[in-house]
Amino acid sequence: MKNSEGRRLNGDAEEDDEDEDEINGGLEAWERSYADDRSWEALQEDESGLLRPIDNSAVYHAQYRRRLRARSLSATSSRIQKGLIRYLYIIIDLSRAAAEVDFRPSRMAVVAKNVEAFVREFFDQNPLSQIGLLTIKDGVAHCLTDLGGSPESHIKALMGKLECSGDPSLQNALDLTQALLNQIPSYGHREILILYSALSTCDPGNIMETIQQCKKSKIRCSVIGLSAEMFICKHLCRETGGSYSVALDESHFKELILEHAPPPPAIAEFAIANLIKMGFPQRAAEGSTSICSCHKEAKIGVGYTCPRCKARVCELPTECQICGLQLVSSPHLARSYHHLFPIAPFDEVPPSSLNDLHIRSQKICFGCQQTLLNLGKPGLCVVCPKCKKYFCLECDIYIHESLHNCPGCESFRHLKPVTAGEG
Amino acid sequence: MSSLQVTKRTKYKTSVKDPGSPGALRMNEQKLLFVPDNRNSGTKVVVEFKSIQGHKYTKEGSNKPPLINLSNVQGGSYIFEFDSYADLHVCRDFVSKVLEKSRETSGTASEKAAVTLADEQLSTAEMQLRIKLLQEDSELQKLHQQFVGGNILTEAEFWATRKKLLDTDSCRKSKQRVGFKSVMISDIRPLTDGQTNKVTFSLTPEIILQIFAEKPAVHQAYLNFVPKKMTEMEFWTKYCRAEYLNHTKNVHAVAAEAAEDEELAVFLKEDDILAREVRKKIRRVDPTLDMEADEGDDYTHLPDHGILRDGSKELNKSQNEFYRRTLLQDLNRHAAIVLEGRTVDVEREDNTNAVAEALAHSKQGMEEADGNENKNRADRISRVTPIEDLQPADSLPLAPLSIKDAREYFDSQQVNALKTSRDASARMESRSCNTQEAYASMRNAISEIKENGLSDPIVSSDVAIKHWTTIQELLRHFWSSYPITTPYIFTKVTRLKDAMSNIYPQLEELKESLQSDLRHQVSLLVRPMQQALDAAIQHHDVDMQKRSVKSGEKPNGYT
Repeated sequence: MKNSEGRRLNGDAEEDDEDEDEINGGLEAWERSYADDRSWEALQEDESGLLRPIDNSAVYHAQYRRRLRARSLSATSSRIQKGLIRYLYIIIDLSRAAAEVDFRPSRMAVVAKNVEAFVREFFDQNPLSQIGLLTIKDGVAHCLTDLGGSPESHIKALMGKLECSGDPSLQNALDLTQALLNQIPSYGHREILILYSALSTCDPGNIMETIQQCKKSKIRCSVIGLSAEMFICKHLCRETGGSYSVALDESHFKELILEHAPPPPAIAEFAIANLIKMGFPQRAAEGSTSICSCHKEAKIGVGYTCPRCKARVCELPTECQICGLQLVSSPHLARSYHHLFPIAPFDEVPPSSLNDLHIRSQKICFGCQQTLLNLGKPGLCVVCPKCKKYFCLECDIYIHESLHNCPGCESFRHLKPVTAGEG
Repeated sequence: MSSLQVTKRTKYKTSVKDPGSPGALRMNEQKLLFVPDNRNSGTKVVVEFKSIQGHKYTKEGSNKPPLINLSNVQGGSYIFEFDSYADLHVCRDFVSKVLEKSRETSGTASEKAAVTLADEQLSTAEMQLRIKLLQEDSELQKLHQQFVGGNILTEAEFWATRKKLLDTDSCRKSKQRVGFKSVMISDIRPLTDGQTNKVTFSLTPEIILQIFAEKPAVHQAYLNFVPKKMTEMEFWTKYCRAEYLNHTKNVHAVAAEAAEDEELAVFLKEDDILAREVRKKIRRVDPTLDMEADEGDDYTHLPDHGILRDGSKELNKSQNEFYRRTLLQDLNRHAAIVLEGRTVDVEREDNTNAVAEALAHSKQGMEEADGNENKNRADRISRVTPIEDLQPADSLPLAPLSIKDAREYFDSQQVNALKTSRDASARMESRSCNTQEAYASMRNAISEIKENGLSDPIVSSDVAIKHWTTIQELLRHFWSSYPITTPYIFTKVTRLKDAMSNIYPQLEELKESLQSDLRHQVSLLVRPMQQALDAAIQHHDVDMQKRSVKSGEKPNGYT
């Protein structure tokens, strides 16, 4: 591959093709990676003769930082609203094209597995939100599950119905979803995520009108394609303010779909800010019994009591069946809160500056107390811009993705707390 | 649709184990009559529907024989066994209908008034759906009878909370239309059996619709020839013959056949209508798009589709008379039709004539809409001229975070808190006692059960659950009508509150009717129900107080 790159600078396109073929003797790309790059030389053995795992962490970290930087650039320095109470419909394309085996074992299976992971991650990061599932099959869209907050019911419904046939119809799916999303209250953010495997859409009418209606209904549509980029999907996403991406392979697809888990920034004209009434139910006392309203049977001990109408519910977060009050617990709100105040990305420490005297004393990572030196020489590390503590790469990823709080900043008592008015 | 009388062969049984005496069961709107075959041995049964309280039946698919069990007011039951499940369904539907009607007539007067107040227009389909739902779910039917029959809720209100049940049926019917398929079904290929020389073409209405849509010349020919010159069968025979000839790619055979048969020639030559349409369409394309590669598509040039011709091969002139479609032209035409969308629904029009005419109508409609082409052209030029890649990123402005002052929330809460604190404090003490008591009694109950074994707790909780469903329904309607905005809702709330107050004595009765050992459990279950009712009534009282304070002179609370 390196040879052919050199030639491309000199020769014409036609000659280049012929040359490549000659040199490589008609080898495929994977064959070339053995012949030219000698990928076996990257393997190393340790003392006992076992293979050491290839050190991908630097690559992984570089990817991660690129992602962070892209996100922080788009966010700019001021704080923006995010849609915390999201009503998301996932539309899965189960047309003929979903049976293709370019994603192993089949596109449909890969999509189902990743949707399961996505649903769990989604409810982890957005406990106040709800998901619904739809499928497209034989030119018609079917509602698989209604909007609900329990991941198990969605996953069970999806895994039970994995057959594909017929042509997909984007317009029917959008129409059906629009009808379903029109019923939700105005403070909720309406979103659609389409996982599209096919290269065409067979619609009964003019899809441009449907797209305009979606735009008017303030629905944010995003598409993840599995085969190639399509104009109509691009147009849909551009009009409604969503994102369009096409997956290259299974791991890329997983990355793309998990990018939709954290709440997206709220678009100014769609967002309506108002006060929403929520209830914080108390846990029912140990020995008390009552009939719960979701299962219609007597339950002992477990459950929560709605503060307004005193009805019993089994799990949170949910909507009280009797009085319609949103019932949540404080950890749910806490988990949503950190999306609004994201932690600033840490700065990378250039290796040259680590030779300075006063920095050399920082030999251990503040988060995990492991040494920052790699085989005697200073390894890659990052520093928090506020508290100036040093962290290793793994702690950096952990802090930004799971913890959402810098341990260094939190351990300072006299650092100014985040005020609401700024930004 | 509904029959006033149903007669079926059944066996009458006094209990499930009874072998039953065969006979005929006749039902009309007032009563049912069972006459046994053997006049001497069997008993004749005459039952008025007024005395029938409920009906139960065995489900299809279970291994039990088809039985229907009618229970009367006194507690007795009449069991009939049918020959088949179909009979059972017919009788069951009839019985449900009659029972429903008898219940409705008792409350129609007040119902009618309430219905006109809500101003609801029910279609017959909706009515049928509601009746079906009531028949299938006896619990729902009981609730319906209790509330709507008892004048606590109106029909409209009852069904308002059950929108989901009503809606799912309509969703199931799926008002979605299906677009044309990607697969080219208009490219018909015959079936041959190896023995004879016959080939068989099969055409469905869907295929015919696609043929008419893709080949306007054939469509026009159909409208002209059928039924004046030839029958439909003949028309399609000719068409299939033309297709067959085309597939053989034998130009001379095609020419020979066309020379003989005029009508066949229509199918074999160029499609003029299509050529005209395409020329019009080309004028509507983006002016900045290079159309040279698509020249082969306008059906007037030689089919070359962008392949560089060096002029060395000259096509035979005679061949141009009979035009050979290429696969690419067919595919492009099909794709254009699919993208245009479906204008004619084949399920409704099974008749080819109807399909043809419907398609002609829709085409006319589309042509009329093509009026102002030039203006569109100018618009399109202005939209297409800027180069897409050089434009700035098309992101919509994001909403900045603005956190409201928390004092707004706390101020409003203080007002509420002051009012309810007095009541709440009184309640709090009693509640804490309750949980302790509950725990103690729970422990006792567990130790009792360990000694004596479970003794029918299911029965008691069943009864409690029945009450709970009623209470649940009432509470749901109660809470959904807050905040009160119109006098109608105000009267509704008053009605609900009265109904709720009436439940307290019912619960007390329930507790007293049981023996002491069961009373513990039931009272535990009943207590949270009472708490829920208390909370609702308290909310109502607080609201009333607020209103009377606000309005001052108007004691009724009308805003």
